[in-house]
Amino acid sequence: MVTEQALGDIAEPEDGLVSRLRRAEPAAVAEVYDAHHAAVRAFAKRLLGDAATAEDLVHEVFVSLPKASRNFRGDASIRTFLISIAVNHARHHVRAAQRRRRAIAAYGELPSAESKDPEHEARRKELAALLTQALDALPIDQRIAFVLCEVEERTAGEAAAIVGAPEATLRTRLFHAKKKLRSALESEGVR
Amino acid sequence: MNEDLLAEATRALRETDDVSELEARATRARVMSGLHQTRVKHRTRYAFLLPIAATFVAASAWGAASGKAQLVWASIERIAHHSKPAPSSPASAGALRSLPRAAPPAALAPDESEQRAAPAEALTPTPAARPVASAAALTHKSDGPGGTRAEADPTFALYRAAHTAHFVDHDPARALAAWDAYLAAAPHGAFAPEAEYNRALSLVRLGRNSEAESALAPFANGAYGGYRQAEAQALLERIGH
Repeated sequence: MVTEQALGDIAEPEDGLVSRLRRAEPAAVAEVYDAHHAAVRAFAKRLLGDAATAEDLVHEVFVSLPKASRNFRGDASIRTFLISIAVNHARHHVRAAQRRRRAIAAYGELPSAESKDPEHEARRKELAALLTQALDALPIDQRIAFVLCEVEERTAGEAAAIVGAPEATLRTRLFHAKKKLRSALESEGVR
Repeated sequence: MNEDLLAEATRALRETDDVSELEARATRARVMSGLHQTRVKHRTRYAFLLPIAATFVAASAWGAASGKAQLVWASIERIAHHSKPAPSSPASAGALRSLPRAAPPAALAPDESEQRAAPAEALTPTPAARPVASAAALTHKSDGPGGTRAEADPTFALYRAAHTAHFVDHDPARALAAWDAYLAAAPHGAFAPEAEYNRALSLVRLGRNSEAESALAPFANGAYGGYRQAEAQALLERIGH
């Protein structure tokens, strides 16, 4: 089965698109945004666990795209390249998202559970929130490795290319991340 | 069981995709606005920098073509020299370090007090042995990347003639005329302080003491910083100041 993500990766960029991006043409950025914002946003949301901070990261990725595109060599898809930009900019956004989550917890604000199956939806949201909370305790590199490989279901090779690290390193990060997350979920007493 | 729980939580996180179209559009608008601001900033920067760069290039080209650049440079050196007094040597050391040192006046006996007043003179070779090397060094030091700055400067020939009359020929009358000629051509030249001092020495040698006093007074009073101050004061003492 070909996923939407795979389709995005297969689709080759227009010949002139990258050069237009390098010239910071607004139309080119808009074109790339329209084609890939959903994937970047999904990654940002999964990595940060917070919609508002994810929007900030998406904004930063596309604003920095013209400058970053000077380093684009065409050996990966534009979507992969965008994710790698997001990874590079994620560090301070992760901290912002953590602060935001702590503030929300302090005010007792809970995510609303609107679904056809409220019980299932509530559990899903609870699990997602717990996992996000557990991710906050991980080092940023392990967090990125987990989101790329497990949540986004990318191959280790692809994730390694995105973060710019050897595949073995990425696998090690993933191993430690999963071990810590299991332990964290267990300590929360989730069944 | 933990494995299943982690997988379930991971799936739950993957499926959390409640971003509204409105938010996506708002972010798009922010991105486009951010890009627009960046472009405006760049344009503004170019609008300021381009005319400045163009003016600089045009001025440099004009200066090089008309020969005015050397005069401007000499003025800058002179200003720098006056604004930064050095304790015991000229401020524009880069230019003046290569200058030949003035000889003790021939009319004066090289007694102990004079040697104390001008210790540097005692440590340097005799003036007669130095002019050619000094002039060569001067030419070398003054050369720009093109290598002909000193030779292209007509005042340099005047300086060289005065230098020869003073240090090689030991002819104070001719040296005085030559220093005057140099100073008339380049009153604010890079070597003007040295020329003024050598002119004063020529006056002392010719016995024109009152003129020599006037010429030495600025040095003794520190108008050139510490440059030749001690020597000028010693000379003024000796000629009856």
